[in-house]
Amino acid sequence: MAPAEIGDRLRALPPGTAVTLKLDPREYADQYFSVLTAALRDVGSGANTHTIYVAVTSPAAFVWSLAQALDVPADRVSFVDAISHLMMHYENPLPNATYVESPRALESIMLRVEYLLRRTRSPRSTVIVDSVNSLAIHNPPELLSEFLHILLNNLKSRQVLTLVLETTEEQAASVEQLLNLVVDETIDMARLGP
Amino acid sequence: MESPGPSAAGPEPPGRAEPAVGLERCVTGIEGLDNILGGGIPRGNTVLIAGSVGTGKTTLSLEFLLRGAERGERSLFLSVTEASDKLVQNLSTFEFFRTDLVVDGKLVFVDLPVLYEKLGLESEELSSEELDILVRTIRDLVRSLGIKRLVLDSLTSLCYRIRKDEQIREFVLRLGEEMSACDCTSVLVSEITPTQGRYSTRGVEEAIVDGIILLWNARRRGDIHRVLQIVKMRGSAHSHAQYVIELTPIGILMTPHLKGARADEEG
Repeated sequence: MAPAEIGDRLRALPPGTAVTLKLDPREYADQYFSVLTAALRDVGSGANTHTIYVAVTSPAAFVWSLAQALDVPADRVSFVDAISHLMMHYENPLPNATYVESPRALESIMLRVEYLLRRTRSPRSTVIVDSVNSLAIHNPPELLSEFLHILLNNLKSRQVLTLVLETTEEQAASVEQLLNLVVDETIDMARLGP
Repeated sequence: MESPGPSAAGPEPPGRAEPAVGLERCVTGIEGLDNILGGGIPRGNTVLIAGSVGTGKTTLSLEFLLRGAERGERSLFLSVTEASDKLVQNLSTFEFFRTDLVVDGKLVFVDLPVLYEKLGLESEELSSEELDILVRTIRDLVRSLGIKRLVLDSLTSLCYRIRKDEQIREFVLRLGEEMSACDCTSVLVSEITPTQGRYSTRGVEEAIVDGIILLWNARRRGDIHRVLQIVKMRGSAHSHAQYVIELTPIGILMTPHLKGARADEEG
C-alpha cells in the first residue's frame, strides 16, 4: 500500500480514533517505512498537527533519522523513548525526546505522553505506539492489557488519533484480543498489497 | 502492593462530625488530584501529606500553594528545616512559577526558626504554653495576611520538640480549628519511613486531621514509581485508588497505578 493511500485513510478517520496497523513480518521494512511516511510526513506535517512517537522497538534517534530523511519538521514530532536507556544508547539525547528508563515503566510512558500532549496543546495530535509486540516482550499480558486499555481510552476521550503498530504472527492471543476490544479500526497492511 | 500505611486512618476525634459531601472546595490546581478528590480539598480542612524521603511531599505542597496564589488565594509556607531562599529556587523549576507572586506577597515564606527566635521559643522542648503561643502567632499571621492556604513543612520536625503525645494532639487539633475558622485550608507534611506502618512519627496526628494523602516509592521488577493514594478526606467522596505521579516542569502529573504485576512489588 502506498504511503499516500495510508495517509488518505488516516486523514479520513474522525478525531479520537484508535487504529491497529498490522505489519507483515515478511514485508516489515517496506511496510514500516510506508507507515512512517504516511503518519509523520503526509499526515503529521500538516498545520496544527503534532505527533508523539512512543519508541519501544528502535531508539528515538533511529526513528528520527528516518523522519529527517522524509523532511519531517522537528517541531511536529516528539518522542517518548522507552528503549534507549535499556540499550545503553543514551549518550546523545534528542532535544525533541523524553526518555523513560525501561519499557516496563508503563505508567511513566503514559505520563510522558500526557506531558507532551499538554506541552504541545496541538488541536490535532497523533500518538504512535511502536510497537505492541515490543511492549509484550517486556511486560506480562495482564499488565500490558491494563496499560493499553487506560492509554487508548484516555487518548480517545481527548480526541487524539492513536496508531498502534503490531507485527502479525508474533502476538500473544490475549493482547490480540485486547487490541480488538480497544481499537476502532484495523488496517492490515498485508491484505492491502503494494 | 498494599500501601505502606495502616489499613485504617484511626478513630474520628470527638466532636468533629463527618461534614456532608458537597462542601465548598479548595481547588488544589493539580488537575489529577482535583479529579480524584471530587473537585478539591473541602475548604478549611487540615490534610496530612505523609511519605518517606524523595516521594514528592514538598513539591506537592509547593505546587498546592503556587496554584492557589495564581488563583488569587494568598498562600503561606511555614518551613521548619529548609531556608525560604532555597524553596523559592525549587519553585522556579515549575514553568508556571511567577516571581511576582512572591514579590507581591501572594506567596509568603516564613522560616519557623526565625519565628521561634522572635517569640523566644528557644528551649529544646516546647511546653504546652509555648505551643499555644505558636498556634496563636500562626493564626494572627494567617488573619492579618488573609491567608487561604497554609503548608507546614514539616510537622514531623516540629514534633521533635514536643515531648508528650497529648501535646501533639492538642497542637494539631487547635491549629486545625484556628485555620478552619479562618477559612484556610492547611497541609501538614509528615515524614515517615517506608516500614513505619503509620502516617506520622508518633501516630497521633493522623487521627486529628481531616485528610491524609500518602506518598511512597513502589518497586516493580527493579523500576521505582512514586505512588499517591488518598487515605481519607472528610467531606469528600474521593477515590481510594493508587496513582503513579511524576514531578514535571508543568506540575505534578498522575496516572492510575497498574495492578497487573502487583505481586512483584516491594514497599
